[in-house]
Amino acid sequence: MSSQVRHRNESAWLLPGDGTRTNHRLRRDMRRFADTDEIDLVIVGCGAGGSVLLQRLARAGWRVAALEAGPFWDPDTDWFSDEAASHHLYWTEPRVITGATPVPLGSNNSGRGVGGSMVHYAGYTPRFHPSDFATFSQDGVGADWPLSYGDLLPYYQAIEEELPVAGEHWPWGDPHGYPHRPHPVGGNGEVFLRGARKLGITAKVGPVAIPNGRFGNRPHCIYRGFCLQGCKVNAKASPLISHIPDALAHGGEVRADAMVTRIAVDERTGRATGVHYVRGGRERFQRARMVAVAGYSIETPRLLLNSSSSRFPDGLGNDFDQVGRYLMVQGAPQTAGRFDDEIRMYKAPPPEVSSEDFYETSPARPYQRGFSIQNVSPLPITWAEHVAAQGHWGRTLRDYMSDYVHWCCLGALCEFLPQADNRITLDEETDRYGLPVARFSYSQCDNDTQLLHAAQRVMEDILHAAGADEVITIQRFAHLVGGARMAADERHGVVDGTCRSFAVPNLYITDGSVLPTQGSANPALTIMAVAARAAGLLRAGARGGPS
Amino acid sequence: MSQLPHWDAATAGVVEARLGPPPAPRFFSPAEEATATALLDLLLGQDEEPRIPVTATIDARLAEAQTDGWRYADMPEDGQAWRDTLAYLDADAEVKYGAGFAECPAADQRALIQAVQDLGSGDWHGLPASRVWSLWTRYACTAFYAHPWAWNEIGFPGPAYPRGYKNKGVGRREPFEVPDGRPADDPVREGA
Repeated sequence: MSSQVRHRNESAWLLPGDGTRTNHRLRRDMRRFADTDEIDLVIVGCGAGGSVLLQRLARAGWRVAALEAGPFWDPDTDWFSDEAASHHLYWTEPRVITGATPVPLGSNNSGRGVGGSMVHYAGYTPRFHPSDFATFSQDGVGADWPLSYGDLLPYYQAIEEELPVAGEHWPWGDPHGYPHRPHPVGGNGEVFLRGARKLGITAKVGPVAIPNGRFGNRPHCIYRGFCLQGCKVNAKASPLISHIPDALAHGGEVRADAMVTRIAVDERTGRATGVHYVRGGRERFQRARMVAVAGYSIETPRLLLNSSSSRFPDGLGNDFDQVGRYLMVQGAPQTAGRFDDEIRMYKAPPPEVSSEDFYETSPARPYQRGFSIQNVSPLPITWAEHVAAQGHWGRTLRDYMSDYVHWCCLGALCEFLPQADNRITLDEETDRYGLPVARFSYSQCDNDTQLLHAAQRVMEDILHAAGADEVITIQRFAHLVGGARMAADERHGVVDGTCRSFAVPNLYITDGSVLPTQGSANPALTIMAVAARAAGLLRAGARGGPS
Repeated sequence: MSQLPHWDAATAGVVEARLGPPPAPRFFSPAEEATATALLDLLLGQDEEPRIPVTATIDARLAEAQTDGWRYADMPEDGQAWRDTLAYLDADAEVKYGAGFAECPAADQRALIQAVQDLGSGDWHGLPASRVWSLWTRYACTAFYAHPWAWNEIGFPGPAYPRGYKNKGVGRREPFEVPDGRPADDPVREGA
């Protein structure tokens, strides 16, 4: 099978096989377009969505460049096997958070640099369930997508092969297998499996975007536990190694350290003409026949809102006040249990075991939709947040912390519902480019809160069943999707089912912000699949898109 | 740190730097430095030498405006929030004990910060107390648990590249991992 993957995405074979992690020649010889070239497509952002789009269209012969605000990472020199030294992997430009339950940003959900937040995601890559695409008609909550699970299925399968994903046969949603066998589990995963078995809860190993075995020139995982600090091994997939090398080899350009400040639209034709960006302090303009925005759920709406003009006085494509709305996070409480045995949860990748038994709406439960449960493995600084969240400080904090090796940790992902007022607007504060920063308002609804309590109870039950003598929980959030969602028409969303803007015919959005619902799944795989589908449709049409 | 030869050069560099002399203060004024040190010593239970240089680490972070990438709409940005809250601690100490926070005995200092924690989401000098508490503990724990001495205290072996781990699973250890020296000492168990 891997030879078939190589035929359509050679990335893993373009990486060095000599123990170093970056193909410097490929980057040095990269095609570089001039600002004055009217290229076929300029992409804003080089994460999960932007990188897949770049790779697909470069392979199809398009003249395409991706502008990325952050650096073009070299895992050997730029990433560290250390928590505190990994701060530079996060988007830490100023942002303001508000609402009844404000959502902290930065380390937990925002990336910068080539590869985006997949550089520091845990590595879980579950599919959405078929029900996620029609929650409004089936459950009376959320929204229906303008496409179905079946529309996305071939792209799920393609991306699972390209990352590639390892895991047991998956019994939930649309049952399916994975291209790689599951990884062996560490102490954390053992406890989860043991507790779940006692309670009759189904739990499975995976799905993680870490090949089990060599894949091209990517080595086997060494189970060092620092997935969230960027994989120095090249084992855990991120677009930096799963799609960018192939894109460069086929004439795509990655222009790193280039902050896009504004999308330009011709007032007469109403079409996008390129993007203004700042690189090395200089203001520049890249001409293009099409523009695709892939800056994720905060920066994509912010860029649209900052691209207002006389034709679009309230922001680009914002005629119906849809830009920035329906931004979602998952409720992600984490519950830890203390065992007399040594668990040492820092060993093995943080992503190990999952259960999707509580994913869908059930008549037996008082709330709509549901949650999933997965292993998480906080390292010392993050673990200190768990302990401090219990109110401990001083000697008590230190004593709790000294018991680190005895704790096992589970995390839930609760499907918080999309709400119109959970949104991005522009704040009065400006960044170093003089642009208004994003203001993110978020408030939970009752259904959301019910899910949190239910998920915490299940995690406590699993840990107690496995033998924990004490459990502690920290309330947190995870992941971002929505903010420029796809919909059937321009009164309900920003783009159509092909990711094309309703308002500007040659403007696309190909990132997590187009998702109308989020399920209880980690979003990376679905973001990549949506971008791959958009690329496939573009490739099938005329180059440069419809006129 | 005996494991340092097993770490990759980039990581060994950043970890080793934490053991050297900390950078001279640039952000805090001397008075702020004194208040911050007294506060951080209490929050982290550092009551004897050698101390992990937490104040210097936070000072460097604030001098470089290395924030987490967000602020609450009802809080100033992190650097200003630190300056303001240290001043409020001093003001509370003056009112209650007639001396600056750093000059108060530890028991009085403890009472002053416990009062802030006890406010929960209530108001403290115009700021939500829980967000002030979260700011303090977030910066404090990040600085403290980045230090190899703290890793030794909790049994964390630190960086693990390029070596990785071979023996994972409940109760299993690598040759370089040390068993819990006081396995029966369970801080969460009643009467422990």
